[in-house]
Amino acid sequence: MIKYHLYTILGTILLPFFLFSCSSDLDFNQANDLRLEPVIVGNLTYFDIAAHQFVENGVEKNLLFDAQDFDVFRDSFLRQNLKRADFSFEITNTINRSYSFDLNLIDQNDAVIYTIRMDVPASNGTAVIIDKTEIFENAKLELLKASRRLEFVLVMAAGPALSENSLGSLKLKSHATVYLVIE
Amino acid sequence: MRKAYLILLLLISISGLSQNKQILYNFTSVPQSLSTNPGADFKYNYYFGVPLLSGISLNVGSTGFSTYDLFANDGVDFNLKMRNVLASTSRKDKVSINEQIELFTGGFKVGDWQDHAYVSFGMYQEFDFLSYMPKDLAILALDGNKDHIGKVFNFADLNLKTEMLSVLHIGYNKNIRENLIVGARGKIYSSIFNATSTNNSGYIYTNLGTSTAYEQVIYSNSQLNTSGISAYIDEDSDVDTVSDIQKKTLLGGNLGLGFDLGFTYYPKKNIQITASVLDVGFIKHSKEVERFTYKGLYKYEGVNPSFNGVDDPRSIYQEFKDAIPLDTIYTKYTTWRPAKFNASYQYSFNDSRGADCNCINNDAAYKNAVGAQLFVMTAPRAPIMALTGYYRRNVLDNLQLKATYTVDSYSFTNIGLGLSTNIGKFNMYVLADNLLEYRDISKANSLSFQFGLNFIFEDNNEPF
Repeated sequence: MIKYHLYTILGTILLPFFLFSCSSDLDFNQANDLRLEPVIVGNLTYFDIAAHQFVENGVEKNLLFDAQDFDVFRDSFLRQNLKRADFSFEITNTINRSYSFDLNLIDQNDAVIYTIRMDVPASNGTAVIIDKTEIFENAKLELLKASRRLEFVLVMAAGPALSENSLGSLKLKSHATVYLVIE
Repeated sequence: MRKAYLILLLLISISGLSQNKQILYNFTSVPQSLSTNPGADFKYNYYFGVPLLSGISLNVGSTGFSTYDLFANDGVDFNLKMRNVLASTSRKDKVSINEQIELFTGGFKVGDWQDHAYVSFGMYQEFDFLSYMPKDLAILALDGNKDHIGKVFNFADLNLKTEMLSVLHIGYNKNIRENLIVGARGKIYSSIFNATSTNNSGYIYTNLGTSTAYEQVIYSNSQLNTSGISAYIDEDSDVDTVSDIQKKTLLGGNLGLGFDLGFTYYPKKNIQITASVLDVGFIKHSKEVERFTYKGLYKYEGVNPSFNGVDDPRSIYQEFKDAIPLDTIYTKYTTWRPAKFNASYQYSFNDSRGADCNCINNDAAYKNAVGAQLFVMTAPRAPIMALTGYYRRNVLDNLQLKATYTVDSYSFTNIGLGLSTNIGKFNMYVLADNLLEYRDISKANSLSFQFGLNFIFEDNNEPF
């Protein structure tokens, strides 16, 4: 009798679950297809040099130079997952002189492995705006990843003399667009 | 492996915790109802649970999406499904898992036959996991910031906690008046592991800049507290996980204290009011503590030349790491258990003993009962609430049934059913909710399931 009850009750309890429970076809291995493709924008570099800064003690300085560490690729996550990087530059010149601007990528042996050059004409009263976008992909991207320092070289070409009272400025704004693929 | 972590992170990010046991609550033919109300109207001479099988409960919930949404084998690209899930959820959505296994349990009546005082005790192991959807961080990981210029990504979206613990408890339950039963239970918690990151703040944003191309600021005040985990995740560790967990289960972990209180009151013979508050308690984490903080502010302007003739190379990478350092501290911390509040109102009808029975109140004497229950649980943000209506019936002398309809943030169509049966001294119960979802389990937003086996020797209310 007890046994009979047990079966009846067990059956009553479990039957609905077996009868009506079902599940759509699931595939958890899909998780392996996970592919994140974030696109990140960030400042790359900027400067804003007033005309009078090209004059020191009454003498024109025709060469401005600086180097900065560029060590983001020490980060292995970035090294592994970076698929493409675009460097976009915008130079605005309101000085009556022309310039050439070099951005050199320097590797760990202090060798210049890539140069981004922009020639900026002199301003005749209105602002001269020069844009440039440099795309690093494939082999070129490897050069970028090998970079350890950025070298900034600004050369002022000959032209009407500047004094410490000269107006105008040379401005650079730039940003990087970084394409990551994380699998 | 990295993928597995990311998926885990995502799942964690999409989680919440409900420990509503709406079917078990006040289902007094099951001894385990004492665990949801120490003042439950459950009478016995003595009882004990079948070790490891007396109470097994599993409760899984996800407010924003179902397993099907993410893992359906329908040919749709997984990444697209993930984006759809992300688009359809908000930072308030949560994923929760709660699991409990009773290791042993038992109870006995104290005093003589006229006293109605009962002691119950036991030990159970519990696992909790609760995470809100870290929406902003997920957007950042999936999209990056390029298409979100001007958006402030909120680090407070990262809000999760998980814990495994064992609980040793002893409770006392007494009829202090004929129509009023009160009960209390003391608990000692032994935390096996804990990870809590619930008080994060901070942001990251990118706006169009004036002198620089962008104005980019990251501010973080984030913290992850862990205890008991370092030995398991450290690759050099030679800790035997199984024996370590066993040791910590037997009060060798980080200890804490807590209590439950509850009552059952019969203002009239067929009206019953109950309420309980559970797990008011804390755990002090002092052993194997590792707390990771990520605090600071950094304004990123780029790699910029100074042109002043001085060689002063700055390392942006280092600057950033110095501004927002990842620190590890080893001081103790305290966590509060999620406290739960239950209350019910019940109307019983069809007294099987006849109207003029003068015996002590016991709602088991009625064939039918209808009632309403309220459940509230503390959670890192807003409390989790649920409202339940139910119908209880004594189908046979030894077969009780409780059907519930519950409305909560997981579902508006949660129908549950509980069955408890006594075969001689042997008691067996099965409780399951969200029965409608069993049509396709993979699409369920929440499921809970409990069952257990006990031996109950009833209080016969007689001198011998």
